[in-house]
Amino acid sequence: MANHRVGETGLADSGPSSNHHHHHNIPYAVLHGMNVPPSFMHQEGSAFDFGELEEAIVLQGVKIRNDEAKPPLFTAGRPAATLEMFPSWPMRFQQTPRGSSKSGEESTDSGSGVNTISSKTENQVEPESPISKKTSSLDQQQQVEMASDISRTGTSQNQSAAAKTPQEKRRGSTSEKQLDAKTLRRLAQNREAARKSRLRKKAYVQQLESSRIKLTQLEQDLQRARSQGFFLGGCAGTVGNISSGAAIFDMEYSRWLEDDQRHMSELRTGLNAHLSDSDLRIIVDSYISHYDEIFRLKVAAAKADVFHLITGMWTTPAERCFLWMGGFRPSDLIKMLISQLDPLTEQQVMGIYSLQHSSQQAEEALTQGLEQLQQSLTDTIAGGPVIDGMQQMAVALGKLANLEGFVRQADNLRQQTLHQLSRILTVRQAARCFLMIGEYYGRLRALSSLWASRPRESMMSEDRSCQTTTELQMVQPSQNHFSNF
Amino acid sequence: MHYQGDYYWGYYMPTRSIGSDPMERVVKLASEKAVVIFSLSSCCMCHAVKRLFCGMGVNPTVYELDQDPRGKDLETALMRLLGNSQPVPVVFIGGKLIGAMDRVMASHINGTLVPLLKEAGALWL
Repeated sequence: MANHRVGETGLADSGPSSNHHHHHNIPYAVLHGMNVPPSFMHQEGSAFDFGELEEAIVLQGVKIRNDEAKPPLFTAGRPAATLEMFPSWPMRFQQTPRGSSKSGEESTDSGSGVNTISSKTENQVEPESPISKKTSSLDQQQQVEMASDISRTGTSQNQSAAAKTPQEKRRGSTSEKQLDAKTLRRLAQNREAARKSRLRKKAYVQQLESSRIKLTQLEQDLQRARSQGFFLGGCAGTVGNISSGAAIFDMEYSRWLEDDQRHMSELRTGLNAHLSDSDLRIIVDSYISHYDEIFRLKVAAAKADVFHLITGMWTTPAERCFLWMGGFRPSDLIKMLISQLDPLTEQQVMGIYSLQHSSQQAEEALTQGLEQLQQSLTDTIAGGPVIDGMQQMAVALGKLANLEGFVRQADNLRQQTLHQLSRILTVRQAARCFLMIGEYYGRLRALSSLWASRPRESMMSEDRSCQTTTELQMVQPSQNHFSNF
Repeated sequence: MHYQGDYYWGYYMPTRSIGSDPMERVVKLASEKAVVIFSLSSCCMCHAVKRLFCGMGVNPTVYELDQDPRGKDLETALMRLLGNSQPVPVVFIGGKLIGAMDRVMASHINGTLVPLLKEAGALWL
């Protein structure tokens, strides 16, 4: 499980008395070899509860369980929601620096921990404290870990050590205090929160597991369908009236889209980080190979189900609007890029315009070839004696087979255009250019989803009001209070 | 664009026998004109490649193999030459083999087609 892995990392990384100044982003729990779910590693939220913290510090010397099978988890990104369940603590405490947690690391004795806490407490309100930044990421893990420990152990040691930092912060006193009702309530709420976290984690893990099983099943189906070969009209594993070849391609395409996101963020970070040209070249080349891959996949898809490609059923509606022979029109893409690629040398400008011109000529030629195919097909199946029906169909089928060739040539044209673009442009320009292409199609796809979910007057009936509400909330969050009218 | 409809090559080349090697015929035909396209009248991809050259202002020489009595042999020879399942279209420029539609388009996109055409005298500035 991931927890154990992380725990081991923590152990390997540092000893108990390591200098915390060098572990900016390693959570406290990891530093001390406790099991921490990976989702905690990047939390730098501001939601914070002192109650948890004091219990954490208390228990740190009392009982730390490393072998707990289910440490409590806040699902990533939702610590604030849980911590807001503690109304006894006003939110202003959430922003204070975390000097106290630092002191917690330094000692295992709760007594001395108190002293160091108090000394650090004075430092807490200084926003420029160098410690504050370091501890921000440690808080959630720490408090949750400790909260769970507290709720599990529920020892009286909690209570004796409970009167710590918040009280000190408020009253500046460093002596141990008896538990008051507020603290008891807080502890109970902590336990409750921890329990809920555990349940949430359990549900999440179950969901992951079932998704994993579904994924392996899908992959098996994919394998089976591939080995069985493709033919129109469906075979085992088809859904509705989509052929297996089309279904397979759709799956591969969605995976390619995810890869596309990854490549685009690589391009973005590469550009922002001002990498050297050779480093950027690697990223650009890998993006070109990424495109080469989709063209390869489309070759197989054209063989399996050319209509799926040529009708654009594999793309989103907005993209389908601009569809040309089963994909984007290269000269349109260049037109879109031309204005954004400045500054270009004169030679580059000439190269780009020449590329646009030649791609337009090639597109025109292919379009005319396809028109001739359509004409020939019409001539074949229009009219003619009934007796020759099957012969007619056989000839028509033969002609239809040529569609695959046209889609292949169109994809070839697209691929060549992208390669030529990368030859004309410098590495940096090419990186920006590919980023622009990716963003453009991303927006087109987003446009399709927004269009599909836009509110329509005909859907304002009673039984659909909740659906409309959801749609409105998705599209226009600021206006969702109008949805009931 | 002009079509070669003469069937008896032996008439023009008395030293050659009528049953000459189809591959040699291909090479011979290809080297006679600046731009040579081997085609089938029913093939729409051939139509596309013809439109491409005409659109560029080139006047290619087209051999419709379905109108040649020995066209079948030529088709076989072309298939062997390209290693393709499709014998046509095949394009020669200045006697040099360019290839099938994909190679023609690739060379047009990467800018090498026009210089070749100019070199062969098929295109003027």
